[in-house]
Amino acid sequence: MTTLIAIILIFAFSILFTAALRAGVGAMSTVPIPYPQQRPILGGTDPETHAWQRFHVRYYTMTLLFVAFEMEMMFMYPWAVVFVQEGPKALAEMGMFLIILSVGIVYGWREGVFRWE
Amino acid sequence: MGMNWLAKIAGLAEVPVFVAIGEGAPSDTASSLCKNPALRSVETPRAAAILLVVGTIPDALLPQLHRLHDQLPHPRATVLWHSGNRLSEATTVGGREDIGASLKDTHKGLLAGSLATEPDILPDVPPNEWRGIGPHGQGGKGMMGGTPYGRPMAMTAADLRDGLELDAYTADFGPFLPMFPSGLALTLTLQGDVIQSVAVVHPPFENHENRGWVLLNLMGLPALAERMLRASNFSNPTLHRIIRLSGARAAIPKGLGRTHDGSDVRTRFDLLTDTSNPALNLHVHQTGLDDLLIGLEWHEAMLVLNSFDNASLRAICANTSASEPSSMEDSMDHGAHAGHMS
Repeated sequence: MTTLIAIILIFAFSILFTAALRAGVGAMSTVPIPYPQQRPILGGTDPETHAWQRFHVRYYTMTLLFVAFEMEMMFMYPWAVVFVQEGPKALAEMGMFLIILSVGIVYGWREGVFRWE
Repeated sequence: MGMNWLAKIAGLAEVPVFVAIGEGAPSDTASSLCKNPALRSVETPRAAAILLVVGTIPDALLPQLHRLHDQLPHPRATVLWHSGNRLSEATTVGGREDIGASLKDTHKGLLAGSLATEPDILPDVPPNEWRGIGPHGQGGKGMMGGTPYGRPMAMTAADLRDGLELDAYTADFGPFLPMFPSGLALTLTLQGDVIQSVAVVHPPFENHENRGWVLLNLMGLPALAERMLRASNFSNPTLHRIIRLSGARAAIPKGLGRTHDGSDVRTRFDLLTDTSNPALNLHVHQTGLDDLLIGLEWHEAMLVLNSFDNASLRAICANTSASEPSSMEDSMDHGAHAGHMS
């Protein structure tokens, strides 16, 4: 019985709290923002083109490489358990995996992936 | 009654002030405002309660001042100091009066309601006429269609770095941007944050302020910048040692903003913070802003702009091509590129 009352009280309070928040926000946002205040701040001038524009995220190759190494680390945690059971065979397998990844790094390096721009 | 009590407490806080510097402002403006504990200089008009106009804004830049004025949130007030300007409802403070006290009084008056907030100077209409079609004015198909909110979309242009064609954003920046030397207004074309082209709209005002503190501020050392502003003399050996130990000089990329005389931002930083022994003589013949800024990222460009003394920067601006006065009508015609208007 007390559990039921507690649950009902929690719901009642959360509904009351949400209603109060919404009412508060409604009271605050009654003043419309005039157009002169909606302008972007460029130090007094007005923009002549729209701000919606596309630009290149130039660090994305670096990001991809980072994700690849994150995944590598994820493989290495369960591998640690396997290594205890299997021994040198597991070590050789992980070595092959790391060598393939390192070829990727060397290739990326040659292509200038690590140059920050 | 309760509101009065709250307003009184709010009046005890620092006054957030946005400073617009004009012609003939005293060179120690920033330092004297910084020394006043009742004030806080803010970086954007949105965070300010009072617009402080120091010096006289020439008639050519009055529209910009009006736009800046209207960007302050209510309740707001304008205070003119050392200024020959006339703004309706603004308080004028003479050069000899205590600026801190009068700003504090104005702020208290605003909060208590004894001083009415200043109305907008500009009419409450969209800055550009609505020409769009569709719910967001995008005017038809694709990203390039139409002129949303009366402004044409940015056009594609080749990036300086690799020729990749993405949107080049062109806008006028200044003359009241806190990271720009006062009065300087530039037309910049940006790809992301890399500057592709530059033209001068208005050269900086004549002012003999030492802008070493701005460089420190730009490099993320605001406490050190404040310390430099508060220092009574720049040749204070303790201050020099702290600036050297802060490593700010090493944080500036080597060879950034090199002029024909061989000086770069690092050497000019030494001059401004007075940490180099031999007095270097800068000369900036044949150097224009386009030589210095094109290809730089925004934060590097700001370091370059603020590393020059006022006379050198004015000479550099004189060497740079001026921006052709672009009227709103021209840019609106430019909207015809969209092609999807019908």
